[in-house]
Amino acid sequence: MNGRVTLKIFFFFLLLIIIIFLVLLFGKKLNSPAKADPNDTVLYSTHGAKVRGLDPGDIGDVTSSIIASQMIECLYQYHYLKRPYQIIPCLAENMPTVSEDGLVYTIKIKKGVLFTDDKCFKDDKGRELKAGDFVFAWKRIADIKYISKNWWIFDNKITGLDEFRQYSKTCKTSADVDYNTPVEGLQTPDDWTLVIKLRRPWPQIVYMLAHLPTAPMAKEAVDYYRKDIINHPVGTGPYKLNRWHKGSYIEMVKNPTFRDEFYPSEGEANDATNGILADAGKKLPLTNRLVTVLIQEDPPQWFLFLQGKIDVSGIPKDNFSEAIDLRRQLTPEMRARNIKLLTFRDPSTYWFGFNMEDEVLGKNLPLRMALSCAVDRDKYVELFTNNRSEAAYGFIPPLMSCYNANIKNISQTSYNVQKARKLVKEAEQIYGSKLPRLVLSMPGTDIVFRQQGDFLKRCFSDAGLDVEMDYMDWPTFQNKIKTKSAQIFALGWVGDIPDAENFLQLFYSKNVSPGSNNFNYSNPEFDQIYEKAYVMSDGAERDALYKKAEEVVVKDCPAIFLTHGVAFILTHDWAMNIKPNAFAYGTSKYRRVDEAKKAAYKELLRKLK
Amino acid sequence: MNKAKEKNNVPKIKGRSYWADSLRQLRKHKLAMYSLGIIVVYILVVMFIYLANWTKIDVPFLDWNQQVGKEYERPNKQNILGTDFLGRSVLRKTIYGARVSLTVAFWASIISMSIGVPLGAAAGYFRGFIDDIVVWLYTTLSSIPYILLILAFALVLRGKTLSLHWLGLGTISLSGISTVYLAIGLTSWVGICRLIRGEVMKHKERDYILAAQSYGCGSSRIIFRHLIPNVFHLIIISFSLQFVGFIQAEVILSFLGLGEKNSPSWGAMIDAARLDLPKGYWWEMTAATAAIFIISLALNIFGDALRDSLDPKLKVQ
Repeated sequence: MNGRVTLKIFFFFLLLIIIIFLVLLFGKKLNSPAKADPNDTVLYSTHGAKVRGLDPGDIGDVTSSIIASQMIECLYQYHYLKRPYQIIPCLAENMPTVSEDGLVYTIKIKKGVLFTDDKCFKDDKGRELKAGDFVFAWKRIADIKYISKNWWIFDNKITGLDEFRQYSKTCKTSADVDYNTPVEGLQTPDDWTLVIKLRRPWPQIVYMLAHLPTAPMAKEAVDYYRKDIINHPVGTGPYKLNRWHKGSYIEMVKNPTFRDEFYPSEGEANDATNGILADAGKKLPLTNRLVTVLIQEDPPQWFLFLQGKIDVSGIPKDNFSEAIDLRRQLTPEMRARNIKLLTFRDPSTYWFGFNMEDEVLGKNLPLRMALSCAVDRDKYVELFTNNRSEAAYGFIPPLMSCYNANIKNISQTSYNVQKARKLVKEAEQIYGSKLPRLVLSMPGTDIVFRQQGDFLKRCFSDAGLDVEMDYMDWPTFQNKIKTKSAQIFALGWVGDIPDAENFLQLFYSKNVSPGSNNFNYSNPEFDQIYEKAYVMSDGAERDALYKKAEEVVVKDCPAIFLTHGVAFILTHDWAMNIKPNAFAYGTSKYRRVDEAKKAAYKELLRKLK
Repeated sequence: MNKAKEKNNVPKIKGRSYWADSLRQLRKHKLAMYSLGIIVVYILVVMFIYLANWTKIDVPFLDWNQQVGKEYERPNKQNILGTDFLGRSVLRKTIYGARVSLTVAFWASIISMSIGVPLGAAAGYFRGFIDDIVVWLYTTLSSIPYILLILAFALVLRGKTLSLHWLGLGTISLSGISTVYLAIGLTSWVGICRLIRGEVMKHKERDYILAAQSYGCGSSRIIFRHLIPNVFHLIIISFSLQFVGFIQAEVILSFLGLGEKNSPSWGAMIDAARLDLPKGYWWEMTAATAAIFIISLALNIFGDALRDSLDPKLKVQ
């Protein structure tokens, strides 16, 4: 008996050893992808953050938006090449017809657009897109039981939609919410016409109709996948999801039923010379597959890019000097690898905001100005952003059409220690005694924030100001701001749309904390201009009002406006048609890979080694 | 008379106490004495920093926040250990950093001893229900990974205030350094508690305790007058060895952003240097790690020698 058991164990281990030997011998071949198809073109990219979910109704983060935008489309999109940024039809047949009072938008939808094939549909075949799919998607966002983080888009904007939200509150369960309940402001006279009635003029709606959360949803998909819809995007886009290994990679493949869309034939003046118009008129998408690798740390992302395993990359802070020299050009090492540099302005502004309801700061303009004059923005940009930002003196970023190049002179708050000291004396007279210690809340505790704190402390103490840094985690920081208990706070804003109203609303008195006006700033003159400009359509007159509103704000100095972002992007020479876009996400359909050049890079790497 | 003379002629044998004997043995250990010298130097530096802060004496060498050169200056004659991203002297920061590290280690040791020793002694002496409670408590605590436990304590304690009115000390605001030593102290008493409990259980059966009991001594008198002095060598050894661990715990907490915020510490320096290393700025990391290495090594050597000299079992007969 014992002998038999020993023999069994012996054979078991022998088998195990043989299996291990075979795996080691042939494993590499088994794991490697099937032999590459020469016509199979693939774009490789990487993201550092997690993909939280691909349900457009509830998407809020940038990484998920970028991934989902390759598969899901909206009524409108941004022209890929034209600048300033221009909205063009996507699922809509043309631009909306707007009634004279600016309250009714009629939008015709393209006929014959199909949802991608999916098992949620009858016979697994995607059906045609209808106007009702938009109404369903927007009612879904309004449905309180769904708890979408995107309700802010429609809040108090569309006639009857807020009432639908109220109605959904009265339902016991989410299954009880009847989506057939009519909403006056969302009507579909026929399957290809969508009529939107607004409560008050809202010219920015066109930008919102190019924003992913407003994409259509097929009711079949929501009913079939239920909560799992976040893992099963069903759209009309150029790609469809093939594989998604959570936290590892996402693979998307060409959608065979994608409608006819072609590469633009017009762009900016230098696009033709840059070769970006070479594919004009070609059917989109230009690449068969998209592979997105999800890596949270900077160093592996950077090494994958240098090895040519990723086509496009940002530049990690630590590797900046390796890639970019002091003249803001590529280093010889990068040029030797045929890497190209693209820079573009972010629609972002960062600041140290003042709580205008604070007793010390709110009533003391010289003190606020002194604080602003004390900060050496150029040094800050050099130390903390690798010179990847521009000093800011107002809140409207330079890429906006209403940017005021003279805002620095208007604000009178450039770095000047002598002036700051004088202003401190004035501030002390107003306060009545020596100024108390001020507290600047930082939204993080890590070393980067602490280094920034050390730098700022020095700037302020040079000007004779005593400012203490209070480092805290993000939820505590948010809570402090929402309860108006932060005195000075480090924050910023990245524009969602190319309309500066997005920034202006941050200073509107009706939006004070817990709303988006974290400064708790209130100025009737500003409010008047904002209310006038808000309902106006895009144009020179509105731009002038925006500029005027910004002037009013910077003269009141409710913040130390610090920087505007500038993005640096590196691309390999085989990644074609790369033109950065500050607002659009679904741009992979325009991009192409030159496989011959890509193959040459492997040779180049061998030589460089 | 003669007898008396004889008595006087008997050479007196001077007795040596246990402590004196141990010290004599320790003094023979040269390396341990050098290590003690290093530890004393560190302690004197920290005491000087506290004295200078308290008396508000302007000592330029302790003004760590002063710009002494350009940003990221390599070590040179003016700045022996180079400068950091704001042109501040790395040497000054390293010296000033000793204040946080040693203060944290000292107070954390005191806190952990003052929890661990009485609890261990009580558990070992009374046994029964009290022993069950204490053992349950330290088993539960020790089953949680140490770093996670410290982190949890540090996060919970941060920003809170500690009322010590009943001690006549007022209110202490828990921020930065005090959070760190409280978190470390409150989570690190398990080892000493376990050690003391075992030792007390052993001593409880000895004759001198039975004698004390038969004289009618109370439990607290027996514990504090008889038992603890007899296991005191363990407390000293444990103190010296834990000290090193606490310096390292402070470094980890500062590295994770939960340490001292407004003045340099070795942990914060290492954290800052982490970002600078890829750019080739190695001197801040080197300075902080060297400072930790030297004090850790000195404490370890001294702690080992102390154990050799104090532990009766290890004494060479």
